[in-house]
Amino acid sequence: MAYLELDVLDRNAKPIVGIDLGTTNSMAALYVDGRPIVLRSEGVTDPDAASGSVPSAIHFGDDGKILVGSDARKALGQKPGRAIFSVKRFMGRGLKDVAGELGDVPFETSEGEHGVIQLHVGEKTYTPQELSSLILRKVQWVASRALDEQPVERAVITVPAYFDDAQRQATRDAARLAGIEAVRIVNEPTAASLAYGLDQKKQGTVAVYDLGGGTFDVSILSIEEGVFRVLATAGDTHLGGDDLDRELARLATDDAGLDPAILDDPALRQALRLSAERTKHELSRSARATFKLISPQHGIEVNREITREEFEAQIQPWIGRTLDACRRALTDSGLVVSKIDEVVLVGGSTRVPAVQAAVETFFGRKPHTELNPDEVVALGAAVQGHVLAGGTRDVLLLDVTPLSVGLETMGGAVAKVLHRNSPIPAQATEGFTTYADNQTGLDLHVVQGERELAADCRTLGKFQLKGIPPMPAGMARIAVRFAIDADGLLSVTAKEETTGTTASIEVEPMNGLTDGEVESMLKASYDHAQDDFDKRRVADLEVELGTMLRAIEKNLDAIRPGLDADSLADLTDAIEAAKTTRKGGVPVDQVQRVRDELERASMPMAALLMDSVAKQALSGKRLGDV
Amino acid sequence: MSGEGEQHQPAGEGPESCFRCSASLSQPLVCEGCGLLQKAPEGLNPFQTLGLKPAAEVDAGDLRKRQSKLSRQMHPDFFVAEGEAAKRQAEANTAQLNSAFEVVSDESRRFDWLIEDGGGPSTSDERQMPQEFLMEVLEWNETLEGAREGDAEALAKLPALAGDLESQRNAEQARLRQLLTPLPPTGDERYRTARRGLNAIRYLERALAEIAERQLDTARGTTSTD
Repeated sequence: MAYLELDVLDRNAKPIVGIDLGTTNSMAALYVDGRPIVLRSEGVTDPDAASGSVPSAIHFGDDGKILVGSDARKALGQKPGRAIFSVKRFMGRGLKDVAGELGDVPFETSEGEHGVIQLHVGEKTYTPQELSSLILRKVQWVASRALDEQPVERAVITVPAYFDDAQRQATRDAARLAGIEAVRIVNEPTAASLAYGLDQKKQGTVAVYDLGGGTFDVSILSIEEGVFRVLATAGDTHLGGDDLDRELARLATDDAGLDPAILDDPALRQALRLSAERTKHELSRSARATFKLISPQHGIEVNREITREEFEAQIQPWIGRTLDACRRALTDSGLVVSKIDEVVLVGGSTRVPAVQAAVETFFGRKPHTELNPDEVVALGAAVQGHVLAGGTRDVLLLDVTPLSVGLETMGGAVAKVLHRNSPIPAQATEGFTTYADNQTGLDLHVVQGERELAADCRTLGKFQLKGIPPMPAGMARIAVRFAIDADGLLSVTAKEETTGTTASIEVEPMNGLTDGEVESMLKASYDHAQDDFDKRRVADLEVELGTMLRAIEKNLDAIRPGLDADSLADLTDAIEAAKTTRKGGVPVDQVQRVRDELERASMPMAALLMDSVAKQALSGKRLGDV
Repeated sequence: MSGEGEQHQPAGEGPESCFRCSASLSQPLVCEGCGLLQKAPEGLNPFQTLGLKPAAEVDAGDLRKRQSKLSRQMHPDFFVAEGEAAKRQAEANTAQLNSAFEVVSDESRRFDWLIEDGGGPSTSDERQMPQEFLMEVLEWNETLEGAREGDAEALAKLPALAGDLESQRNAEQARLRQLLTPLPPTGDERYRTARRGLNAIRYLERALAEIAERQLDTARGTTSTD
């Protein structure tokens, strides 16, 4: 069966691109002619399409216009305080998880159903999933342009290795909202190792140090005959370039005597953030840089020179935290530093010299920087896309789950069911029984994390088992099966074993969307898209009507004597209808009908015209004279 | 794949050859001849899943190679174009392969499984440990306790203690491998002895894990200020 199906499938029909949906920048890559390339279109004016890198920023205009990418950044320069950055940090989180970062969000926020964060922009609300889908749509557009307008509908999307179930699920939902099938969710450092391993044709043990805009991961892998086996991973989903920017801003403004109240102005905070980012980039190239912040409105003018040493001292604690995670990953992999053959740097923040130096000291070897740290994740995802598209069997990623999954037991402790760093796909079955006579339901609280108490771990969901057949207490034998798939996503199923009844499970996602919610958002966006499409179609048709009317009127007087009365009346009516329609406010179907009618009514005239053109051509007149 | 281990291979546990190409199966998850995913019978033990004879001694490199080779045949990455059912079967079979690999590749978990399969006592049934060993445990606990409280002297002793415990663990593991090779018949008294040894190994492992945690804590203090 499998063979036959494979043979008839046209594998080239739909490419599987790799998408790095980053905190700061996003991009797509595709495996072409034996290697992965970033999808960009040279020589075009759109900066995102030209570079292939889409800044993960969204700007909301007062007029309701939404800009994504470089356009959003540009608009922000002119009109600050209307943009969203780093939406990745809000994916699959609740308001209390991101309390420290809400100050950078210039819109009101609230929590919707299941604790999903909602941003209120004017009349509309947006979830992080929807905002990410806007970024993905721009990436999709850039990719599609680079592929001669070939639709991009399937992708491998990367996430930080340390993303938990809710964050992965949110990423998957964002893709769905953008009309992309996430064929696989791959961990960023793992993807990077793939691009690196293939490029350098390496074997051995590799540590990938991935410090991005908002997240930090470290993964230890062994590469052996094309099998990329993750031995351990550790990280922090709230540690990245954003934090370094914040430290720099603090350093620059602390002694400027700024009124803290002023900093509550989101517009100023966004300006501050951009200045900090610029200064950070400059400090990676030179020993000193000037931090500038000018706001006539607040009467602020900060010009603060910052030296690299100052900045490095300020960010030491953050770097220290990344090294803590490196030690944790090493311990979990059962290896010591001397067993690591190579170290690979990934993520824009690894351009900071102090970061490179700290990694070099820790691992006792110079890290690899041959591959562009901004591109390597997307390139690796493209390699995985090639594998999934059936392009090769020579490469295989064997990844692990970053966090343990467990159940809350009586007394609030956690019984771990699947341990962190277990290879995925993974599965485990736990047995339960009833504690009361004729009990038909059972509540399960599934948590993820390493802490001993359920209250200290993250709730993945509360499940209610229903439909247990009534029997005396302790008689039921309920087997609950936990499965983590190759995307790192958990599913839970249950069965009562003495009777073989399958108990149904009701899932309540935490900080996530239900399938129904995703569906209705999708429908709303289709309706929206249909609306946009109709508007464009009407505009096109109106232009066409104008062209047709001009051509008809130009020739009508000359042709009139030759037309029969019926045709003439028919044509005059159609012309009138077309003129009325062009005034606007007519639905697309009707505009189309009017256009078709005008075309039909002008047929006899066109025939006469052709006739006279032919005659004149025969009598030696030039076509242009008609 | 035959010989004295056969007592552990219960008969009639599903097909031994691929139903499509009739090639004989080295393990129950996938046909290495034609690549067809097999629907593995329920209740297979970790060794059967990997197509191995139960044994206390397993070559780590060979096992890893075997797992890689089987993953190459059944990983869901290679079944994307083959429909939802095949994808799900690939997920399930790879998950089963992975959990078997987790048991067989981890020495303590492997011993634990062999002892239970051989009819030996469980951890909760057999809590006894040699008196001498218990005295030692008391001694390390004192050091660990001190380290937990941040006592500099105790912390300084940790690396040496770790080295000491590691060599003890290795020696105990070697002793168990020997004791369980070849595997004693079901119900043999040696399984009880092995359980006591494994209890000691588990104790040593827990202490080593705690030392690792303490050392992570100490390192944290040196590189970070929060």
